[in-house]
Amino acid sequence: MIYKFQDLWKRSNITFKVGFIILFIHILIAITGPFWAPYHYAAINVGEPLTGMSWKYPFGVDALGRDIFSRVIHGSWMVISLSILGTSIGLLVGAFTGLFSAYAGGWIDETIQRINEGFISIPFLILGLLIILAAGPDLSGEPLLMSLAVAIVYAPRISRIARSAALEVITKDFVIAARLRGESAISIIRREILPNTYGTLLVEFSVRAGFAPILIGSFGYLGFGIRPPFPEWGSIINDNRMLVYMSPITVIGPAVALSSLVVSLNLFTEGLARLLRTAKREL
Amino acid sequence: MVYLPLILKRIFSALITLLIVSALIYGFLEMLPGDVATRMLGRTATPETLANLREQLGLNEPALKRYFLWLFNIFQGDFGTALTSKRPITEILAPKIFNTLILSGCAFILYLPLSFITALLQAYYKNKNIDISLSIITLIILSLPDFIIGTIMIIVFVVVFPIFPAISLVGEYSDFSEWFMALVMPSITLALVMSVYAVRMLRDNLIEVLDSEYIFMAKLKGLSKSTVLIKHALPNAIIPTLNITALNLGFLIGGVVIVEKIFTFPGFGNLLIDSIKFRDLPLVEATILIAASFYIFANLLTDILSIIFNPKLRKQ
Repeated sequence: MIYKFQDLWKRSNITFKVGFIILFIHILIAITGPFWAPYHYAAINVGEPLTGMSWKYPFGVDALGRDIFSRVIHGSWMVISLSILGTSIGLLVGAFTGLFSAYAGGWIDETIQRINEGFISIPFLILGLLIILAAGPDLSGEPLLMSLAVAIVYAPRISRIARSAALEVITKDFVIAARLRGESAISIIRREILPNTYGTLLVEFSVRAGFAPILIGSFGYLGFGIRPPFPEWGSIINDNRMLVYMSPITVIGPAVALSSLVVSLNLFTEGLARLLRTAKREL
Repeated sequence: MVYLPLILKRIFSALITLLIVSALIYGFLEMLPGDVATRMLGRTATPETLANLREQLGLNEPALKRYFLWLFNIFQGDFGTALTSKRPITEILAPKIFNTLILSGCAFILYLPLSFITALLQAYYKNKNIDISLSIITLIILSLPDFIIGTIMIIVFVVVFPIFPAISLVGEYSDFSEWFMALVMPSITLALVMSVYAVRMLRDNLIEVLDSEYIFMAKLKGLSKSTVLIKHALPNAIIPTLNITALNLGFLIGGVVIVEKIFTFPGFGNLLIDSIKFRDLPLVEATILIAASFYIFANLLTDILSIIFNPKLRKQ
């Protein structure tokens, strides 16, 4: 594995490297942050409320006297893990329905595609809000609900991509041979079709994972995110919206955290996709 | 009109999608565990108030019957009454949709030249410094959530250089200059968010087209680089861009919700947020259904346009 990584690193491009390094820093902060962040995220009156940038409070202090830098650090692991969890569930469901739809064909395919189309026709942010609303007041604000919303937004879109990737494979000789051998549908999908769509699904996963923090942040910004006082970045920006006139850093801090994460994921993906393309050419 | 059956088929499938969307929206909000009444009243509900509300809303009827009644009423242009303000939903929605259409129209007018000029510049100076720096800028904007772009706009144009008002409140009483001042920042934000996708797509398409043989031919004829680009390459890159524009409308509608919240613009997006906050389900259903039908209609329109413009599709 380590050898393979070194090999990958050597052949990779600058986009991949820069993305990987920023992403690595983010993951490092997410894992270790809670241990070295100066204050607890919900600790109030740790500093003079509504003060701007200083050495002690790099991102300023909010209206309740909470240290925004500590809040941003503490929010990191939740944003990253919820994004990855949501995207993974979306990928699993999407890949399964997509591959199954392509394999089954006929009216099953038609029905699944129609339902996917219906989901996709609701703009994604609005679909996410619809799911959060439908979950009801008891569940709203639950972190896992954010992942679920991301998963439901993604699954139909990934399903569509997975289906078209599978359709390219399905007419190949080895799939027909497997069918003639009398293998079961599940086994053909798992052993013949799925391995040939890994590349597409991998790129799809990282593209979607890069957008998931934006989606979760948007829920938070609109006031439908993880329930306070948990410091999800979108909700920190929303909380400090009115402070922007006094000390813009209170908003810029969490904004930089969120956007650098997304930039790194996007760079990483673009690098990865280019790497896969060259790998394919070499084969 | 060889392509008429193709268009009719497309219209039919759009109608089916619309039907599925309406079922999805209604199903999500009305058929999940815990009915509308418990969700509206929340934790303060008592059995009596619940029973009263259920009676009032007609929730004792079976769900499927209520769905078809809802659908039937919509066909007659009646979206029902909002729970919070007790006013007809069409009356509440109409002015908000009007405002949002003006906002999206302005954003769209900015979006077209912004994406075309940027992509043309990038294709013209392919792999030169201008292309590379524009690529990096688009990738960064692409990675910025709309609420952060909007906030940056506020920091720059309200806090640092106080040019525009922070709050874009407009209404029937507003005159042209008030509308103008209110629209500048939200529409620039929306146009930026939309155009980064189109720019990346259009740049790649243009470069791909520039590699083809008829472009080579045009170059051999001695035409200038810009003539080749604008007269020969651009028309062929338009159809894919048309498709990405239709997809972008999804971003536009989602973006409108966020941008209207940032700039407090009195439109459809803020209405949606408020109706979700107050759990005004009939209003939420109507708003989301309209958003989805707008998206479906736009996609239908672009599909029809690409059928008409694409000679290859026409012959089949």
